[in-house]
Amino acid sequence: MALTATESRIGAASPRRRRPTARRAARTALRHVSVWALALLFVFPFLSMLSTAFKLPDDIFSAPPSLWPTEWTLENFAAVFDEIPFWQYLWNTLVIAGLSVLGMLISSPLVAYSLSKIGWRGQRPLLVIVMATMMLPPQVTMIPLFLMWNGLGATNSIIPLVAPAFFGTPFLIFMLRQFLTSVPNELLQAARIDGASELRIYWSIVLPQARPALITAAIFQFVWAWTDFLNPLIYLNDASKYTLSIGLYSFFGERNLEWGPLMAASVLFTVPALVLFVFFQRYFIGGVGAGALK
Amino acid sequence: MELTTTGRRVLTRAVALSGVLAASVALGGCAAATSAGPTTITFSYLWGGEEAKALEKIIADFNASQSDIKVVGVSSPDAQKQLTSMSSSNGSFDISDNFGNTVGSWASKGILAPLDDYLAAEKVDTSAFAPASMDQMTYDGKIYALPIAVHTQQLLYNKDLLDQAGVTPPTTMDELADAVKKLTVVDGSGAITQIGLGNPSASTLFTTLGYAFGGTWDGADGKTPSPDDPQNVAALDWYTKTLTDPYGADKIATFASGLGQYMSAQDPFYTGKQAMVVDGEWQAVNIPKVAPTLNWGVIDIPAATPALAGTTQVTTSTLFIPSNSKHKAEAAKFLAYMVQDKPMVDFTLALGNLPSKTALLDDPAYAEIPHFDSWLKALASPNAKSLASQPYSAQYSTDLATAFDDIVRGVATPDKALAAVAGKVSSY
Amino acid sequence: MAATAPRGARRQTLRGLAFASPFLIGAAVFIVWPVLASAVYSFTDFNLFQPPSWVGLDNYARMMQDDTFWKALWNTLFLTVTGVPLTILISIAGAHLLNLPVRGQPLYRALVYLPTIVPVVVGGYLWRWLLNTQYGFVNYFLGILHLPQPEWLEQPQWGKPAIVLMCLWTIGGTMIIYLAAIKDVPAELYEAAELDGARWFARFRYITWPTISPVTLFQIIVTVIAYLQIFTQPYLLTQTRLNEASGGPGQSMISYAMYLYQNAFVFLKMGYASAMAWVLFLLTLAITLVLLWSSKKWVHYGSDRD
Repeated sequence: MALTATESRIGAASPRRRRPTARRAARTALRHVSVWALALLFVFPFLSMLSTAFKLPDDIFSAPPSLWPTEWTLENFAAVFDEIPFWQYLWNTLVIAGLSVLGMLISSPLVAYSLSKIGWRGQRPLLVIVMATMMLPPQVTMIPLFLMWNGLGATNSIIPLVAPAFFGTPFLIFMLRQFLTSVPNELLQAARIDGASELRIYWSIVLPQARPALITAAIFQFVWAWTDFLNPLIYLNDASKYTLSIGLYSFFGERNLEWGPLMAASVLFTVPALVLFVFFQRYFIGGVGAGALK
Repeated sequence: MELTTTGRRVLTRAVALSGVLAASVALGGCAAATSAGPTTITFSYLWGGEEAKALEKIIADFNASQSDIKVVGVSSPDAQKQLTSMSSSNGSFDISDNFGNTVGSWASKGILAPLDDYLAAEKVDTSAFAPASMDQMTYDGKIYALPIAVHTQQLLYNKDLLDQAGVTPPTTMDELADAVKKLTVVDGSGAITQIGLGNPSASTLFTTLGYAFGGTWDGADGKTPSPDDPQNVAALDWYTKTLTDPYGADKIATFASGLGQYMSAQDPFYTGKQAMVVDGEWQAVNIPKVAPTLNWGVIDIPAATPALAGTTQVTTSTLFIPSNSKHKAEAAKFLAYMVQDKPMVDFTLALGNLPSKTALLDDPAYAEIPHFDSWLKALASPNAKSLASQPYSAQYSTDLATAFDDIVRGVATPDKALAAVAGKVSSY
Repeated sequence: MAATAPRGARRQTLRGLAFASPFLIGAAVFIVWPVLASAVYSFTDFNLFQPPSWVGLDNYARMMQDDTFWKALWNTLFLTVTGVPLTILISIAGAHLLNLPVRGQPLYRALVYLPTIVPVVVGGYLWRWLLNTQYGFVNYFLGILHLPQPEWLEQPQWGKPAIVLMCLWTIGGTMIIYLAAIKDVPAELYEAAELDGARWFARFRYITWPTISPVTLFQIIVTVIAYLQIFTQPYLLTQTRLNEASGGPGQSMISYAMYLYQNAFVFLKMGYASAMAWVLFLLTLAITLVLLWSSKKWVHYGSDRD
């Protein structure tokens, strides 16, 4: 938030002829420090989580707290694998997340295409409807949906968690739509004149162009399904079907305040999402930037 | 180029994922299949960790003892999920456990299967159970659950701290108040460093105190919530006069927030931060394990009048069969096995709980456990009381917990807080 | 061409509907029907195990008398009114920091965004630990700065600030969105302002703020809606044991959605919970409409971008 051109002009008018490099250096340093401090604030909780996961109980319960363990230990991680079927939960979560992504990829681009590339009367109203559904509190539909799935005998299974994705995820439909509006229409027009069916155009021309947006959408859907808490809470009853979210939750409930193993379990739970983030960072950040600007 | 790559990528993904889907459906399906041979039933229980291991041993014994029924044990500690599982037509278990105070609520909603016929068929003698433990098992004249283990409350005290302060274990409420005064230590800055009477659970302590003063929480008929019974108010007034008023609710809260985890090596009673606590019999098994050097004693909970001597609160762990079970007869056979003498002794010894059958109270198996006899005797006391098991119980206990929290924080006086609960009773 | 136009239009409509059909079917099954069913249930007494019985407006009347309902509503509104402005302010400030010409910005942006992909369950327990009165880092740093070190999750007046603190940790997404928005502000506007001698605050107030106001409107609406529905964060911060429902010290942390969940799945009062859901829905709708209506006063559309 430095004063740039203005101040330097004023400086030029004043007796100080020489450009004060010290001040400029100080400004640059200040900028570095502020951004660095901001990033540190956000990253610090992770460091705390990591350090606690490797600490012994006495070390954890010592005040004042310190980031560096006095003695490193893997016993917390061992306790996690001992206490909870971590691999089972991991697998369950992967299945649910994978199927969600599949469902979203099948359905959401179709709807986004309808909202952007097919000039039809319902386009505007549909867009409004999609946006309106983004604003609906899930609590309103929670109970009847639960009763519906209960009646179908589908509770205690992954069906209620995965099925909705096959019908489109409103936020991602919106984001894909925004992207598709920027795809030039000439290619499509040419194909239409050639007599290609709309579906063919969608599949062969538009989808390949939309690859970056599709990847971004897939990543978002994956992370949402991976980290979902409320739906598995309501719909998964058998411990063998738990996802990592509920696994962690019930781990805490049983052995509450055993911070070492809890933090170790948290680290394990976060790692896959972190790995995904490291590799696909530009899709995350790019998608966020592009998708939410109208 | 782009086309084929995308197409191929999408296709491979679709194939891979549908393979996954097929596999998980198949695996899910396998579990439900019943083979020709023993009928498989599922026993879903709330216990976990060590207790679950003990339970699995007993299940294994049952499975080995006969070949008609195979019991599969599942540790599922979340009571919420237990409830929602029983609401669908294909439930996930045939027999499960919970606590006595939910029986009435669940039975009234048709969640539980009545057991009378099965018990007669399996020749289970319900009179063999301690009367105090059967209180909560019936609803509308039918039995809906059996007590597998019982719990009572006693007053535990730290012998060393009491000796240091020159206090003898209290037997009346006045003596208790006096003891608390002598055993609560405040340092120079006014902060509490040791408290005379701690409470692992405010709800348990206060409801027990209500009984110790001759109050009742469920009315004279045992079916109507009576939070503002004058004796209940008197009990909580005693508490505020002894603890929150002299020492300050906020100081007590600050002290409480710094205490270690219950039942661990840093437990406040084990580490001398709490001189006395009202707690259950599982401590007798836990203390030798976790805090073997602690010098402790147990005594009956003091009562307000001699007629109320031996007051204690009884809670039960129950076994029940949900009405959406498809194998009720088999589940009943297993239930009958679990309440036979030997399995019950095995189970309660492993968990450190009291057996629910009167004959077992004198069983020598329990003689080894230090101070266990104190809790055993309390079960037979004429003043052993328990909260009613009624349809309103869940919400009532939540509202009581809120009231107790307000009292402990000094936000409301006992009569106001309890009157507020009384005001809500009409909406139950 | 005129002859084919109406026929073409109808064909287009069919195509449009065909492509949109997954969403339309899904919306009908997963949204429209449940919303209507929820309204019907709100007029019944329903405990999940026995058939619902009609009670008319009883649930709504009961709601008005219910202390906990008002407490939960108050808590949620408090969180919204404090959380949303803080989110916007910190996001805009952070976006400016992330826009500074320093090296390593991509890394810093990634670090700021990272908390948003952390599973919320992990975040919940992590913050519970950080806010621990004696062993947590938050109080440690407050102590270093000679600031009071409250008992975060134990005292009623600090419960909600704890929730807000935890939620502010995950505003990285909003910050990145604002970053994109401020990058989009045409540089000429800033240069013109500098020529006029405007200092940075004036530049922000008269150029940046109006230009990003559409984004701000969207973010305010989205954040308000998120806070009104907040469930997981307070639920995890107040969790005692699995079998108990807790509202935090003195019920200070029970959010509207938590109380709704409690009524539905703990007390088995599904009719009452449905009534609560509808009240939340109408409240959300009302607030969104008010925000949209007020936007005419302070939102400036039409930049060079479109």
